[in-house]
Amino acid sequence: MYNPTLFFEYYHLFKWESKNINLMINLNVNQKAYQIDADPNMPLLWVIRDIIGLTGTKYGCGVAQCGACVVHLNGEAVRSCVTKVSRAEGQKVTTIEGLSNNNDHPAQVAWNEENVPQCGYCHSGQIMSAAVLLRENPNPTDADIDSAMAGNICRCGTYLRIRKAIHLAAEIQKKEGASK
Amino acid sequence: MKDITRRNFIKSTGTAGFAFWLGLSARGSTSKALDLATAKNFTPFILIESSGTITIYNTKPEMGQGTFQSFPALIAEELEVSLEQVTIRQSNGEKELGTLQRAGGSASIRTSYLAMRKVGASAREVLIQAASNKWKVNADNCYVESGKVINRVTKASFTYGELAEDASKLELPKEPKLKEAKDFKILGKSGKRPDIPLKTCGKAEFGIDVQVPGMVYATVERCPVIGGTLKSFDAGEALKVAGVEKVVEVERVVGKYHFTGIAVIANSYWAALQGRKKLKIVWDTKGFETFQSSAYEEHLRSLGKQDGITDKTIGSVEMVKVSPKDTIEAFYETPLIAHHALEPMNCVAQVKGDKLEIWTSTQVPSSVTGSTPNDLHAIVGFTPDNIKLNAKFIGGGFGRRLYMDYIIEAVNVAKHTDKPVKVIWSREDTTEQGPFRPMTFSQLKGGFSEEGKLISFQHKVISPSYFESMRPDYDKTKVDAIMVEGIGEQAYEIPNVKTSYVRADYHVPVAAWRSVTSSTVAFPHECFIDELAYKAKMEPFDFRMSMLNKPSDTKRVMQKLREVSGWDKKSPKGKGKGVAVWEFFAGLCAQVVEVTYRPDKTIKVDRVIAVIDLGEVVNPDNVRNQVEGAIIMALGAATKPGISLKNGQVVEHNFYDNPLVRINEAPGIEVHILAEGGKVKGVGEPGLPAFAPALANAIFAATGKRFRKMPFDLRVI
Amino acid sequence: MKKQLENQKRYRVPLRAFTVIGVILSMIILMSFGLNYKTNKEVSKTPVTLAVKKDSITSVKAFKQVYTVLMSARCMNCHPSGNIPLQGDDSHLHTMSPQRGVDGKGVYAMKCANCHQATNTPGLHTPPGNTNWHLPPADMRMVFQGRTPRQLAKQLIDPKQNGHKDFKKLIEHADDGLVLSGWNPGEGRKLPPMSHAAFKKAWITWLQTGAYAPKK
Repeated sequence: MYNPTLFFEYYHLFKWESKNINLMINLNVNQKAYQIDADPNMPLLWVIRDIIGLTGTKYGCGVAQCGACVVHLNGEAVRSCVTKVSRAEGQKVTTIEGLSNNNDHPAQVAWNEENVPQCGYCHSGQIMSAAVLLRENPNPTDADIDSAMAGNICRCGTYLRIRKAIHLAAEIQKKEGASK
Repeated sequence: MKDITRRNFIKSTGTAGFAFWLGLSARGSTSKALDLATAKNFTPFILIESSGTITIYNTKPEMGQGTFQSFPALIAEELEVSLEQVTIRQSNGEKELGTLQRAGGSASIRTSYLAMRKVGASAREVLIQAASNKWKVNADNCYVESGKVINRVTKASFTYGELAEDASKLELPKEPKLKEAKDFKILGKSGKRPDIPLKTCGKAEFGIDVQVPGMVYATVERCPVIGGTLKSFDAGEALKVAGVEKVVEVERVVGKYHFTGIAVIANSYWAALQGRKKLKIVWDTKGFETFQSSAYEEHLRSLGKQDGITDKTIGSVEMVKVSPKDTIEAFYETPLIAHHALEPMNCVAQVKGDKLEIWTSTQVPSSVTGSTPNDLHAIVGFTPDNIKLNAKFIGGGFGRRLYMDYIIEAVNVAKHTDKPVKVIWSREDTTEQGPFRPMTFSQLKGGFSEEGKLISFQHKVISPSYFESMRPDYDKTKVDAIMVEGIGEQAYEIPNVKTSYVRADYHVPVAAWRSVTSSTVAFPHECFIDELAYKAKMEPFDFRMSMLNKPSDTKRVMQKLREVSGWDKKSPKGKGKGVAVWEFFAGLCAQVVEVTYRPDKTIKVDRVIAVIDLGEVVNPDNVRNQVEGAIIMALGAATKPGISLKNGQVVEHNFYDNPLVRINEAPGIEVHILAEGGKVKGVGEPGLPAFAPALANAIFAATGKRFRKMPFDLRVI
Repeated sequence: MKKQLENQKRYRVPLRAFTVIGVILSMIILMSFGLNYKTNKEVSKTPVTLAVKKDSITSVKAFKQVYTVLMSARCMNCHPSGNIPLQGDDSHLHTMSPQRGVDGKGVYAMKCANCHQATNTPGLHTPPGNTNWHLPPADMRMVFQGRTPRQLAKQLIDPKQNGHKDFKKLIEHADDGLVLSGWNPGEGRKLPPMSHAAFKKAWITWLQTGAYAPKK
């Protein structure tokens, strides 16, 4: 009758703030299932990078200011540095590596066409943010682009190219949609 | 990359294939070698193997400035191969690849332009010679195309691989013939950078991405009062945190400064951070806790009254007669700022006995593996032969990664374990510890003759000294050449000029920040030229041109800028434009900035038109990207808060209080490239210095308000 | 840990069973004291009347108190005059300029709830959270920023401007989740100038005495 793990199940059910107690957490990242043994308070960023080993998602500030850590949670752009891994449990996580199979999401194609990146460190996050914009607004204006992308910092200053690439990506998206 | 000797090459391919290297001797003449292990006085850049593989070594670290494509392009063009045909090997500081494996000072292309073309050309010529020997024809009867030498008459061909062995025996031409620009296939064209596709899908490996089997992680707590030393620490609570393995003292050396920190080593970065929060440390703040930026700035202002040490004189500002009514003076101030490369400082290091292996993003691989007294080995205590570097893509250099302090620190952590340790600096660590671009103040004075001609110009720089921060033995009686760069070298024809320097004591480490001191002295210099123009009741562009009578690069650039910017079209009310030009060690660029003064009394930067003088251009699109980026960075430096210290601690912590420019603040930018031959100039930095003064001049034109202090907030005019 | 248990099983089974039940029971009891155990727990139990007993002086005096709370950063920051929320104790424009959007929930890659999650993110300068983070929608902007006390008072009782609230809903609004979260702002943020209980008292007093608007 006695089950020593009952305490931990109830803890997990009520999700109290824990003090470094690891749990088995089920994640779905880029359509692959993972069982992670981690502190549920660990930011999703470090789980993705250090435990799962997908390093495309970057650390830039840790406080949701720079956008280098943007991933999709059920398609929405969340900042993985301030997202506890517990929030992602049972949800669909997509990282830059999973955005497309062949670097051929319209944003990626446009980014390559326009030679957008300089050092490239911010562009995983830039592209993940742009992907949401392109999905929700097939004809973004410069103002729409600013509204969507002002949360992603580029220290190298590739902003003009980002704008140009998003316009191009919208074109590519239209063509792809028309040809379907 | 393994040791690239011929023996290892044969071992790795398993075949007794032939290979030879082409490159440069120490004196800069083209040279070749058959065995790198025994080659003396030789730096390789091309490897030609009988299998047909052609490898080009890129010894300039890639940090977004595009050397991954542009440096090999110089060689590939002359070698008549496409960049897709060759294997580009990014160097890792290997001794065999020479001591110039570094990227900085906008020097990668401008210092190697001719030399690399000659290496490629000499390889081409010796391959042609080998083929023509085999066919027993004149070399003129052969031509090269896409890695083959072709017989004009018979149309027979040999691949470079097939000619390798024969070519390796021939003497290299003393003066290989370089291709003419009209025949260029790569140079001057906007070729694709091979690293970009890796960066759009998360595949590019930066230093912070490195994962080595058995790796542990560390974070370091450093004294929040800069200059403080460690008294004692209690790691009891930290060690209790799950995942934490060890807590150790580590030294970090930056310039002449030695700082001690406490490193928490754990099985994950997250766990290390939790452990760090539980450290109990007692620091000895050594009186530095009384340091206030505001008081220091007052101190610099008062130092401005001193004469300082004279740097350069033309004519004599003391002897020339200028009446006080024809004189103006101004005092300009620029702040301490941080580099904020988006990839924070990081380094993986592993110590195994007397061997050291490092994985990191660095601008100076040659300093990591080199054997001079200033290189890493001397500071961390390993022999150079036992140091191995794995150099990764750099997520932003900007001068910050010229310093090995974060590498030294990581090595010192690694000494406490035999596991590889990855040390990551948080954004807060980066903001709070520096090193920083030093604040630089300027006193300017200019005087006109009775006829209204500018005949006297003085620029005195007051600042902490860069060299003093770097070297304990700095000679304080001499001018710090870095802190006065460019102020005496602008092309304006002024008969009497004096530049001078007043050094200020400072205890915070300072560093080169993109375009170094030009980013802080071009602002006062070119703003003051504008102030002088208004004093002389001359239009600012005309005023500058009136002092550029002799032919000069600056004159040529300014003429082009006037034309392409439409300067002479008058700005409507509520708008203004400003101009500035700056030449320094890295290159030459002039800019016009157009602004709108909005009804709510804020400034919108509408457009920037830049003309950059290159001499020769390798990849025009890449140049445009660099200049655009430099302008954005300059906009941030001019208008966003800098770094300040209160009670000895840096006040700012992260992007919420030390913001960077975002996309909605970016103006339109047009870049015009002048590549009309002559001296080859750099690209990475020149786009930066001219922006802030051009912006301030534009704001003056639109509002009548003169800003003499950076940063100035565009929202509060 | 299992091995340890088996060895001790003989002696500890009954005691352990009671301990486990006791722990679970106390957990349930504690949980029932509210998921918002960190906030001001005073969910007022005193019954509230909908009756209005007009008293303009008391009403205006009470509203002056209400005004200080509504114009404090914790409330005003999400009731901006523009389409970008405000941020911080100094109510500067929210960095990175997230936009209100049609429904007030943000747009594209910067929808409010992407970063502002169900609970406050731990640490300083990280996104605070509640289960319903958003701005008023574009067609009912409920602006506080820049409003004089008179303007705000009139706006608050006008169903066309206050989110279609009638008197009853206005009274209940004092305990609305978003209102309560103003008193649970996360580390490093200044609380409103009075406790929630005091605010609620002033709010209800203002309404019950006639919801008078001050002269200015």
